[in-house]
Amino acid sequence: MATNEAQATQATVTLERVNTPPAQTWNYLRANDITLTVPNLSRKGDVYFALPQLFDRIQTGMGPKVTQWVTSQAADSTYVEVPAHTVRTQPIVVDIDAQKGQVADTGVMVREGATATVVVIAHGNSDTDVASAALTRIVAEANTHVHLYEFVAVGQHHTHLESVGIDADDDAVLDVRQFLLGGSTSAVGFAAALSGDNARIDLKTRYLARGNETLDINHVVRQLGKKTRAEIHESGVLDGSAHKSLRATIDLVHGAKGSKGNEAENVLVCGENVVNKTVPVILCDEDDVQGNHGATIGSVGPDQIHYLEDRGLSFDEIEDLYVRAIFDDAVIQSPTVDARHAVLARAEEVLGAEIADDLLAGLDIEEQLLDQSDSAKEA
Amino acid sequence: MSDQLLCVEGLSAGTEDKPILHNINLTVGAGETHVLMGPNGAGKSTLGHVIMGDPVYKVTSGTITFDGADLTHEGPDKRSLAGIFLSYQAPVEVPGVPLYSFLRTITQKRPELRMTARQFRKRVGQIADQLDMDQSFLTRELNVGFSGGEKKKIEMLQLLLLQPKLAILDETDSGLDVDALTVVSRGIEAYRQACDGALLMITHNTRILEKLTVDRTHVMVKGNLVADGPASLIDDIDAHGFEQFERKAEAEGLTRGDA
Repeated sequence: MATNEAQATQATVTLERVNTPPAQTWNYLRANDITLTVPNLSRKGDVYFALPQLFDRIQTGMGPKVTQWVTSQAADSTYVEVPAHTVRTQPIVVDIDAQKGQVADTGVMVREGATATVVVIAHGNSDTDVASAALTRIVAEANTHVHLYEFVAVGQHHTHLESVGIDADDDAVLDVRQFLLGGSTSAVGFAAALSGDNARIDLKTRYLARGNETLDINHVVRQLGKKTRAEIHESGVLDGSAHKSLRATIDLVHGAKGSKGNEAENVLVCGENVVNKTVPVILCDEDDVQGNHGATIGSVGPDQIHYLEDRGLSFDEIEDLYVRAIFDDAVIQSPTVDARHAVLARAEEVLGAEIADDLLAGLDIEEQLLDQSDSAKEA
Repeated sequence: MSDQLLCVEGLSAGTEDKPILHNINLTVGAGETHVLMGPNGAGKSTLGHVIMGDPVYKVTSGTITFDGADLTHEGPDKRSLAGIFLSYQAPVEVPGVPLYSFLRTITQKRPELRMTARQFRKRVGQIADQLDMDQSFLTRELNVGFSGGEKKKIEMLQLLLLQPKLAILDETDSGLDVDALTVVSRGIEAYRQACDGALLMITHNTRILEKLTVDRTHVMVKGNLVADGPASLIDDIDAHGFEQFERKAEAEGLTRGDA
């Protein structure tokens, strides 16, 4: 993992039009991609251990330019292999200290029949503009079960790039949770190839963007095997002058007979100056498949609003509840102490210390955090 | 506190283009239990929603006074904070909001119920046990993916947590199996014991009333309150149905009001 504490004075490089979907929409909508200016450190003389070549074949969400940049900036790569027919109880953690501008390149090989949890956490806050990145590529062999958690909880001066690529073989199950909780610019690309028959993915993304934050998401699920399943659900809150683009593509490739893919998004738009762009796409080159997508954009439905008002909440308080709910959910789902700390630190910034403490105490996790810390120390 | 907790006077209301309720007069005293009965489409649920301030309905005349304050033109959030609670016949699913976040937020809104997060967690745990609810419900999204019976239990959980002065229970018993009905009845009883709150029960099913002492029974037909009487009126309805009241409404030429 590379640490770049003096990024501000370093040379930069511009990554033109990255995080692109397989099929693009009209250019004038400016929703096809994002262009990012990032540091460009010289690694001349460093010894770099690259991941096995197998990982080069995995398509990643942010695309090859970002992959190339990350591998050029990360001081080293990390390779983890989970042996066949084992259950790895300790999560594989990729911890990115955004304050230090860390860049990580990680490859995980989950061998046949194994179960593994991968946690990617980007956290930190400082007053200086820094960029960090996590590139995570996963091979899920047949009959594996992979849980992937991603937490982007960086500060208002940070640019974070998060690129994931997964290849899933026969009967592999991918369970993915993304919590995108802020950052000056967060660019998040996720690509999964359901290559094997009966492979399935359940991808849930919850996001919050506020102030002048930019959030750019690219979700791509390629269904290549027969009878594969993809369930993608994104939901979030946009406030202030936040700018969000979401591209969600389900690609039902020729030969993916009996496959089904669903994608849906719910957005609560609170700020008057919010820019909210969503491009849901279903590509289909096979007759015997089902693909659906839908989006509820603009507000929560009147029935929900009225139900919540009936319990004593004004409209502004309902918006606050939806924001708090994202953090509650992130804390509840956090599989590690560090992930919870990252979420709570961000919650403190967004919701204030009182509510962050309330999350911690109310969900009865303070003891759990201490217990987990103690176990980790003992281990 | 006024003895007359809820006072509805000359209330007429409906949707934008259709009058539903006609000149309703109803008084519920503090701690009393009232039952509102009537055939399907009589306007019972509409009355509950109009008292709660549902913006779907427009009040065309009359007033709603609660605890001495005129709430006719107040929004539902203000009415809720004043102490009115409406339990939904079909509770709304709210994706994206864990039950815990929701309960914590609505409790924090009420100064009289303010407590630390730990105390709150303990209190919710006690109520969940009382209602035979698994506490893992708390981390699930509000009403999403719950069965009909579980949703009604969540309504009861809110009732016991908030302890309102008046609870309007809109067919809380509908669609419940025997076990769920027993638990819900237990919840209503616990509410009465805990805070001596008033009840306005909208129901077709007399079984849920078995453990309650009913003070007053009202019958609604075609958007009009056509009869009221003591608890014994329920037995009369049980034996003879609503036909007598429908005939009476027809004879008196009362206005048609579809709920």
